[in-house]
Amino acid sequence: MIIKVALIGNPNVGKTAIFNALTGSRQHVGNWPGVTVEKKEGRCTHRGAEMEVVDLPGIYSLTASSIDERIARNYIIKERPDVVVDIVDASNIERNLYLTLLLLELEANLIVALNMMDIAASKGYEFDTEKLSLLLGVPVIPTVATTHFGIRELKDAIIEAASGKNKRRKVTIGYGEDLETEIRRIEEMIMEDPHLSGTYPPRWLAIKILERDEEVIGILERYQKKDVLEVVGWEK
Amino acid sequence: MGEIDADTFADRRYRTIEEILKASLRVRGRGELTISDMLDRVFLNRVLGIPIFLILMWATFQFAFAVSEPFMVMLERAFGWLGGLFGEAETPLVSFWSDGICGGLGFVMVFIFPIMFLFLALAILEDSGYLPRAAFVMDRLMYRCGLHGRSFIPLLMGFGCNLPAIMATRTIGDERDRLITILVNPLISCSARLPVYVLIAGAFFGAHAGTAIFLMYVLGIVLAIMMALLFRRVIPGLKGRPSPFLMELPPYRRPTGRSILLHMWSRAVVFLRKAGTILLGGAIILWFMSSFPWGADLGSSYAGMLGHLIEPIVRPLGFDWMGAVALFFGFLAKEIVVETFGILYGVGGEDEIMAAVAGHMTPVTGLAFMVFTLIYLPCLATLGTVRAETGSWKWTGFMVLYQLLLAYTVAGIVVITGNLVMGV
Repeated sequence: MIIKVALIGNPNVGKTAIFNALTGSRQHVGNWPGVTVEKKEGRCTHRGAEMEVVDLPGIYSLTASSIDERIARNYIIKERPDVVVDIVDASNIERNLYLTLLLLELEANLIVALNMMDIAASKGYEFDTEKLSLLLGVPVIPTVATTHFGIRELKDAIIEAASGKNKRRKVTIGYGEDLETEIRRIEEMIMEDPHLSGTYPPRWLAIKILERDEEVIGILERYQKKDVLEVVGWEK
Repeated sequence: MGEIDADTFADRRYRTIEEILKASLRVRGRGELTISDMLDRVFLNRVLGIPIFLILMWATFQFAFAVSEPFMVMLERAFGWLGGLFGEAETPLVSFWSDGICGGLGFVMVFIFPIMFLFLALAILEDSGYLPRAAFVMDRLMYRCGLHGRSFIPLLMGFGCNLPAIMATRTIGDERDRLITILVNPLISCSARLPVYVLIAGAFFGAHAGTAIFLMYVLGIVLAIMMALLFRRVIPGLKGRPSPFLMELPPYRRPTGRSILLHMWSRAVVFLRKAGTILLGGAIILWFMSSFPWGADLGSSYAGMLGHLIEPIVRPLGFDWMGAVALFFGFLAKEIVVETFGILYGVGGEDEIMAAVAGHMTPVTGLAFMVFTLIYLPCLATLGTVRAETGSWKWTGFMVLYQLLLAYTVAGIVVITGNLVMGV
């Protein structure tokens, strides 16, 4: 079985360096279907397991408003990669974790690669990675892509995550009671449609609707979920 | 339901991140601020950020105006001398040389200096890393006003020229955000409008000319933001929130002399190229129209006929037929407005033309004229770019229409309040 791995992260976090460290020379470049955004793919073998790694565009967020962000989130929803590796710039952790939270919401099988640990250390950052892993509910692997530090551990973690042996508690990012009430209300309406809730994570849909995400509103229009659209005051 | 939107969610997510990091990250030597942090605390301050931006911009215009003045006088004298080489303008050929080329094209050439020094100052602000901070500060304001944060870069580029600025809107992902940014971009004062301001402000506002020019730029920004807000609210196809925007701030750096001079020089080259083409063409047309039928006085020349024809439109604002002609040809390129004055007032020499301007306008109509020039129409080339980038004649036409209306309205307000204040 080939493990499908997607790499994702903000621009300038060393994503390409990780990609190169993972795949070495076994890579090729193509285009995402329909758009002229570059798509890089590569392969590697680790402990007898074959992995196919896709490099997703560098993005800050997962909204519907830019092509890059749409490519990334549609890939995760539609292609359902076995593992998504979120590469995080440890020296800019606050901004980078934003994308991480969005990926948790998408219910991706996530691993966080805490990259640029050397730069973070020079800024005096000391991470409790075990604690961070606990709070996010996903494995956190410290790396320095430029020196290949942590790459072996990352590969191990990918194989472990793909095998479903990840025993970490699933973490839900709470938005506070006021928003949670709204989210739950919409989530319940979505759950009534088994096909819809089977295709997309219901909680993610609910949040995106409240965020007025155009693509998601389009999805609900296609599924004719008028009741949900009415809740957010969306009339056609 | 209440005001739940993407912002609310973004806010809560950052709050969660803060909590996660509080538990999992320890920063040694916290409290040690780098110089960059300290500068950011001041420049990005919620309260001080915008006033600091305004003060720096004001200083920029003061600088550009004050430093360029002696150079302008020198170049002007040179053109005055060149224009007088063949004596009085009694034959068409001599008149073409002295009134058309030296008096018209030469007169507008003088304004290369304020443009160069303005871009020298802007290059310093940009290379030092301040301008991206200004973008950050303005983003907060603009986001609330319905403009996308990424709009600020194209708006900033508009200070140079609206044409590349409109092409730069391609970086804005959302089509609505992009269209709004294109529609309001010509309200940002491009460098072609600077000569008009320098001439008129110099004629009326003396030591406060720099401030008056600065106010034109501020007015442009304010109008751009107001119109963006209005379009978002009113035009059905443009409703919705702008998408959130994250930007990375480059480190502060000491600007290098080489890169600053290069920046200034490239602006000068753009201007010289324009002078050799469209401004030369404008000078020839205007000289011809103002000198023929040969021997007729100015009022009955072709320019005079055209001017008298369109004068009624701008008469309520206090502009005379010469102003009308200047604005008419200013559609080709805004510098031609100044060129027209150079040729029509036909005196040569900035001081004399300033005196002539002061004779033809009052300070109030002068200010109204500056405002009108700022708003009334993008130049022909910009309009072509708008058509190409929006792919729509409808939006291009809409832009022309709203800008003409807005120019008339704002200039009208200036005239009315100005006259009230002056007690006329």
